[in-house]
Amino acid sequence: MGGAILAYLAKRITPMLSSIVSFLAISSAAVVFFTMTSSTDVVTVSVRNFTLQFGLNAYSWVFAAMVMGISALVSLYNIAYMSGKDRLGYFNLNFTLAIMSMMGIVFANDWISFFIFWEIMTWSSFLIVVYNGIDEGKIGTKYMIFSAVGGYAMLMAIVITNSQIDSFLIADLINAYPTFGHGMQAMIGILFLIGFSVKAAVMPLHVWAPRAYSDSPMSFTAIFSGLLSKMGIFGMAIMFISVFSKASIGDTFIYSQVIAWLGGVTAVMATFYAVIQKDAKRLLAYSSIAQLGYIVTGLAIGTKLSVMSALFLAVIHALYKGILFMAVGAVERQAGSTNLEQLGALIRKMPWTFFSALIAAIALAGIPPLGGFVGKWMLYESMITSTNPSHLFLVILIFLSSTAAFLYVYRLLFGLFLGQEEPEWDHVKEAPAPMVIPMVLMALTLILLGYAPGLLFEPIANGMEFLGFENVGWQMSSLSNIWGDTVDMQYVWGSVVTLFVLGAIFITIKNRKSTRYVTTKDIHTSGEIPEAHENLTYAVDFYKPFERAIEPVMRKTMDFYYNHFGNGLESLFGFVRKIYTGNGQTYAMYVVIFLVILLLIGEQIFK
Amino acid sequence: MEDILKLLGGAAATMLLAFVVGATYGGLVRKIIARTQNRVGPPWYQNFVDISKLYMKDTAVHHGVMQHIGPAFAITASVTVLMFVPVLREGGWFPWFENLNFKGDIIFLIYMMVFGSLGMALGIGQTGNPNASIGVSRGLSMMVGYEIPFVLSLVSVMVQTHTTSITGLMEWQTQNGWLMFEAPFAFITMLLAILGMFHYAPFDIAHAPSEIASGPPSEFGGKYLAMMMTSGSIFAFAKLVFLVDVFMNGASNLVMLVVKTLLLYMVPVLYGAVSPRYRTEQAIRYLWGWPVFFGIIALIYSIYI
Repeated sequence: MGGAILAYLAKRITPMLSSIVSFLAISSAAVVFFTMTSSTDVVTVSVRNFTLQFGLNAYSWVFAAMVMGISALVSLYNIAYMSGKDRLGYFNLNFTLAIMSMMGIVFANDWISFFIFWEIMTWSSFLIVVYNGIDEGKIGTKYMIFSAVGGYAMLMAIVITNSQIDSFLIADLINAYPTFGHGMQAMIGILFLIGFSVKAAVMPLHVWAPRAYSDSPMSFTAIFSGLLSKMGIFGMAIMFISVFSKASIGDTFIYSQVIAWLGGVTAVMATFYAVIQKDAKRLLAYSSIAQLGYIVTGLAIGTKLSVMSALFLAVIHALYKGILFMAVGAVERQAGSTNLEQLGALIRKMPWTFFSALIAAIALAGIPPLGGFVGKWMLYESMITSTNPSHLFLVILIFLSSTAAFLYVYRLLFGLFLGQEEPEWDHVKEAPAPMVIPMVLMALTLILLGYAPGLLFEPIANGMEFLGFENVGWQMSSLSNIWGDTVDMQYVWGSVVTLFVLGAIFITIKNRKSTRYVTTKDIHTSGEIPEAHENLTYAVDFYKPFERAIEPVMRKTMDFYYNHFGNGLESLFGFVRKIYTGNGQTYAMYVVIFLVILLLIGEQIFK
Repeated sequence: MEDILKLLGGAAATMLLAFVVGATYGGLVRKIIARTQNRVGPPWYQNFVDISKLYMKDTAVHHGVMQHIGPAFAITASVTVLMFVPVLREGGWFPWFENLNFKGDIIFLIYMMVFGSLGMALGIGQTGNPNASIGVSRGLSMMVGYEIPFVLSLVSVMVQTHTTSITGLMEWQTQNGWLMFEAPFAFITMLLAILGMFHYAPFDIAHAPSEIASGPPSEFGGKYLAMMMTSGSIFAFAKLVFLVDVFMNGASNLVMLVVKTLLLYMVPVLYGAVSPRYRTEQAIRYLWGWPVFFGIIALIYSIYI
């Protein structure tokens, strides 16, 4: 454990001159983490009268393993992705710092170090968001404002907690929470939730996310959306499971209902926005918000199955969204564009990228037999078997979002990799090996997790038991709900894979000699033959009919309300400025007026 | 070893049954629609003729790997759904059709049903044919439309019976009577949803023959089209059996199975035979209107009964 912390701190000192150093630092930290730490190590540091404590437990091990495993792969990708760009030192310093601070958050056992690492994470990611220099004033400010609101809410909650129980340890809050009064419970809970919801991009606080995700370099966005947003989930899970569940019943009920529905609404709206995007990065950014909506809903429902599904989805989402962002990054680097309406037919040029993106897309859509299905299944079953009627309506919302997810998944794959081949993209080649290897490895992990989700259930179940659940049951490859209905993933996986292989072999072997490849220009178009420069791919406004159908709900965006709020604030500040004119004489006059008032009514006040 | 043989034999028997019944239904539907529109129409065995002709074709062209394996995705989905749906109720010929009935549940089947569409859509996408892509765009959009009432209906049934497995539903029905009458609103919702699901008029814009040259399959020929048609026949049968299992307690012998599935199938077919065509957004709005309204009533009914 000490070694691991040293490695993280050492990374800060290492001169971060190239991506390779950062990769080596992160992967060595990962090796140290996976080989040398056990889930019970604790280091306590006393600074004057504060107690700072770092340590791992079964719950944070899940997140720590996720962060380390995925960031090691992404930093390998980062070497090739960032090669030839400017200010690498700046980027890689922040890149490594962000990962280090996530580990810090996960390791923190007290709120002070939690908050410090939280702010380091916010700042380093902010600096990367503005790295590309596109529209940085607007995007960066938005991100900063929301993060600051979240951060201060959290700080306030921490300070209030300390004033109540005179301790910064997370464990102490968990123990002391039930003893607080009703209002205090509500206040601390809401403040913490605001802090975490900003990072997890829950609906009213999500506005920063789409642009911040899509305009950072893709190698960081894989981390940003996959892992950094999960820190919000990390905190939320502690709140929901360890803290609220022990409070008075009424509070728990309201909190979790509101948050569960917010998660559901987030999922639906963000999915709709993802469907109508024209840019692959923007599409994935909205899709990340939607997927985090599921996770938040799962946490807020709070039964064994739903929490299990939320944590499972959190890990799986980091995997598939990591792959998708990396694949889009690979396309961006090789072809120079991510516009879904212009690109097309890269499948023959970038087959490995397509393969990993395909697997990730199938997992995202939740189609069996991959890992994504396991998480979705548990989420649905936990809602259907719930005793609370409102969850049954929520499940429809989640289903809507999940079905609409097929649309954008297809659009993404179609826009980038399929369609008619164009001479414009003839120069595109497969991405270099350091970019392809992480993607393919992560895709294979998704396939493996479809066959044996138990590999992931084991640490999650241990973590949940640490958080306060009892007897979290799990099986290696069979899922079951509380009504006793099961899905056997081994049979599902076996059936699908066998049939697919048989089908593919049959269709390949039959008349193999007389089957031939023809170009995508040689198509059936009612007698018209398209010329070489003509592109007939139907990619512009791909989902226009769907857009028309959902038009009524899309008219007003959250941005609209925030802008109004901003305008309102501006006029308020304008009014304030009329009072604080900056002129010394005016201030002198205020003082005189104040004294006069004091003389007049002071008698009554200060009797 | 014996288990594996039994599994393979059962799977083969089920597939054969599904293919024969499904293709016959396809032929019958063509005949019925023709008669409704005052035409003579093809004979009932026309689909068998078509499929065997296509399988016998020598040449086949494709535009790339994804299109090549697209039909394999489709057949995987259809047969997997078939394997997990109980074809007959327990007793009688049951051992032949048991397959993997106890290994999956309804949520799994809902997802498995879209596996084929997505795989096919990817294959279609690679052809670069604008008509085909337009068809995919419309088809996927409409899928979002009918999945909502479909899921609402199934969720309310699951809540009412407290089980999510099909075999569990059938046991419940043996004791309490058909869900068609026990959960009437869910059944109405399902009837409205399957209008969209089977892609007959007025929801046939994805495959509109005269407008976009049949859309999605327009670039497939020879063995590819044959495989798609085979898969389509099996899939239609699997969906019908699934619905019969859920709402009519399955069937104990093949004759009853054919009667029940045919009756259910006639709902979208006859409705479609006399209907014009909705545009995509009209179709989505229709499916999110009355069907969802009935679905919500069904859900409330199932919670408070």
